[in-house]
Amino acid sequence: MSIPAPAPQHRRQRYFFDNERVLGPLLLFPAVVYIIALVGFPLILAVLYAFSDVTVGDPRIRGTENFVGFENFRDVFNDGVFRKALRNTIVFTLVSQVFVIVFANVLALVLSADFHGKRLVRFLVLLPWTTPIALGVLGWFWMLDSVYSPIDYIMRRMGLLGPDSMFGPGRNMYWLGKSDLAQAAVVVVHIWRTLPLATVILLAGLSSIPQDVKDAANVDGAGFWRQLFYIRLPLLLPIMAVATLFSLVFTFTDLTVSLVLTRGGPVNDTQVLSTWAYFKGIQGGNLAQGAAIALFLLPVLIAIAIGMLRLARRSEND
Amino acid sequence: MRDFRKLQAGITSRPVSRRSLVGGATMAGMAGTLGAYGARAQDATPVQTTPTRDISGTSLSILQWQHFVPVWDTWFEVFINEWAEANGVTLQLDRVNTADIPAAFAAEIAAGQGHDIVEHIASLPQYEEAVLDMTDLVAEATARHGAQLDMCKKNSFNPTTNKFYGFTHGYAPDPANYRKSLWTEIGLDNGPSTFDELLSGGTQIWEEQGVQMGIGMSQEIDSNMAAQAMIWAFGGAVQDENENITINSPETLAAVEYMKVLFESCMTPEVFGWNAASNNQLLVAGQASYILNSISAYRTAMEQQPETADDIFLSLPLVGPGGDDRALAHGHAVFTAMIPTYAENPDTAMEFLLHLTANYQAVVDESLFYNFPAFPDTYSALIEDGGPLDNDPYGSNPPDKLAVLKTANDWTVNLGWPGPANAMIGEAFNTFVLSDMMAKAARGDVTPAEAVAEAETILNEIAQNWRDEGLMGGGE
Repeated sequence: MSIPAPAPQHRRQRYFFDNERVLGPLLLFPAVVYIIALVGFPLILAVLYAFSDVTVGDPRIRGTENFVGFENFRDVFNDGVFRKALRNTIVFTLVSQVFVIVFANVLALVLSADFHGKRLVRFLVLLPWTTPIALGVLGWFWMLDSVYSPIDYIMRRMGLLGPDSMFGPGRNMYWLGKSDLAQAAVVVVHIWRTLPLATVILLAGLSSIPQDVKDAANVDGAGFWRQLFYIRLPLLLPIMAVATLFSLVFTFTDLTVSLVLTRGGPVNDTQVLSTWAYFKGIQGGNLAQGAAIALFLLPVLIAIAIGMLRLARRSEND
Repeated sequence: MRDFRKLQAGITSRPVSRRSLVGGATMAGMAGTLGAYGARAQDATPVQTTPTRDISGTSLSILQWQHFVPVWDTWFEVFINEWAEANGVTLQLDRVNTADIPAAFAAEIAAGQGHDIVEHIASLPQYEEAVLDMTDLVAEATARHGAQLDMCKKNSFNPTTNKFYGFTHGYAPDPANYRKSLWTEIGLDNGPSTFDELLSGGTQIWEEQGVQMGIGMSQEIDSNMAAQAMIWAFGGAVQDENENITINSPETLAAVEYMKVLFESCMTPEVFGWNAASNNQLLVAGQASYILNSISAYRTAMEQQPETADDIFLSLPLVGPGGDDRALAHGHAVFTAMIPTYAENPDTAMEFLLHLTANYQAVVDESLFYNFPAFPDTYSALIEDGGPLDNDPYGSNPPDKLAVLKTANDWTVNLGWPGPANAMIGEAFNTFVLSDMMAKAARGDVTPAEAVAEAETILNEIAQNWRDEGLMGGGE
């Protein structure tokens, strides 16, 4: 019995979908459209705004008369609040990431071991990542409240806060009213927020280390620390870099933590670029300067993105 | 029908139907909330105004702030639905936290579509180019209901462009709230009446009774208003009538120096980290001797801490070195409706605003006297002797506790007084120039003179930007 040959139209379709030159671009097309529409277009708009004199009440660019060159950037850079926000953004990001790397490694090692209640612990570790960030930060805001803070309550009960105590005579710590404490609070919330992601990435990395390598190390008598520093961490390095870069981007571009927790206060000491861009551009109405502030992030983010792509490619080649 | 709700993440959307509102649950909730305050005010049943234009078959969408007196929102839904039903108008009412109104409005402006009315609790002069001129509406309301308060006019009118960029239908007075028992203890039964008494009395209360004062210096709206009121009382001003920046004056410097001493004498660092609700919270918790706020703080205490509420009394703005005439306050909230240029039904929007104004007695009563009318003739009995403020139907103890508000129209002025509420002061408030000036000096980051000079530089830069846009005068 002979198999009937496919009709010419079906043949054409099969050829069409089997052809990588066709199928590849076809599958990429939705993603490209998505990126152009939701990333590319706003980015171009932000660049145009940053070099223009638009306001929030009149964001239209009618022609060359709207363009003011680097005037917005000059004004922004002469603004003391902007310089403070830039410094805060960098410091908050770097400090929080140092802690995230250390804690994520510890957590990943713990969670890769077998113990009772492991699933519950994994769930709890992941919880901050699954919580909407605004809600999570609101929870922190209540915990650090100037009157009803439960942390202060516990400190008072333990005799750490109040008259003749270690942390002073006041009823409260005023976490968000003192600059150093408010800055620490922002860093802590960033760590709390990004730690689960880094942990999960590292956990995946740990589980990908071949069992025979670990067995060989055990046979050779390598202890925990020797295995950690000579086997696990070197093998984890590429994926640790990926986790760090993801966390860096999330923290560097974050608006919610500072906005909900402190609104940039006290006296702009927790102001970051994204919140200052929001206050200046949207609330204050100076859209052009807001765009210029936001665009200061761009070179850094591009550098981080290139770093991520190179790492990903290197891991692929390895 | 357009559905803007999907475009605006975080917006509380509440498409309403009259049937659902008249349903048992809603009305029971409303009655319960009102019950917390005692009986309803005198009868102020809304009346249907007759539109001057044919608006039947049109639609009206409103983006509105969530009222600080939640029962008002419930009443308003019934009120607006009755109007919509009577006039054959399809209605969409969306509410967001007041802090989110500017961002939501900005998004709509950028998109070129959105609600027919956007209502905020403050002037948004920096949005002027995106809204319709409301001069005709103000004129019509004036013809029907008498003169609009000058303060409300200046909060919504730009003399440089000669444009009403908003329609201010009401405001909330901003008296002081003090704990009577604490001040009686030091011999000031009626609380402080001058800034000298505030400092000496507040210090004494803090030292002897351990209760602090609660005047914010944080990056939020109440702190801005407190700073501005203090500058006025000391004889200074951010700008003059012609919109020239005048903040760097000996009077402002004296106000900043005073604030530094006040902080060091009777406040804690928490005032640098507050949000707009924090001073209310401190008062209701019984941990503040004196705050500057509307009656919402007191009403909250009535509901949550009745004993504390009985001890909270209201007082007039304090007299400072500038004299009695400079004892002023902002409208704590200035209810300003704007109709964007992209509004599809501006006529319907204006008709509703006229209907709202005509029923302002109900608006005031249902807000538990938080709202005051911009057109005083709509509720002239409000401030008369023997009126509701002399005998609060919502359960104040004593009943005449709100009587101090009877003169609120005299001591309430607009944002940016003695100049207009312009884009400069709008941006300055939203970037916290005044409260930061106070805080920097109070914390000792810089000297008071340096703080004032720095604020002057920032304000001049902001003002110049808006003059370049053609939205602000002065600067010659």
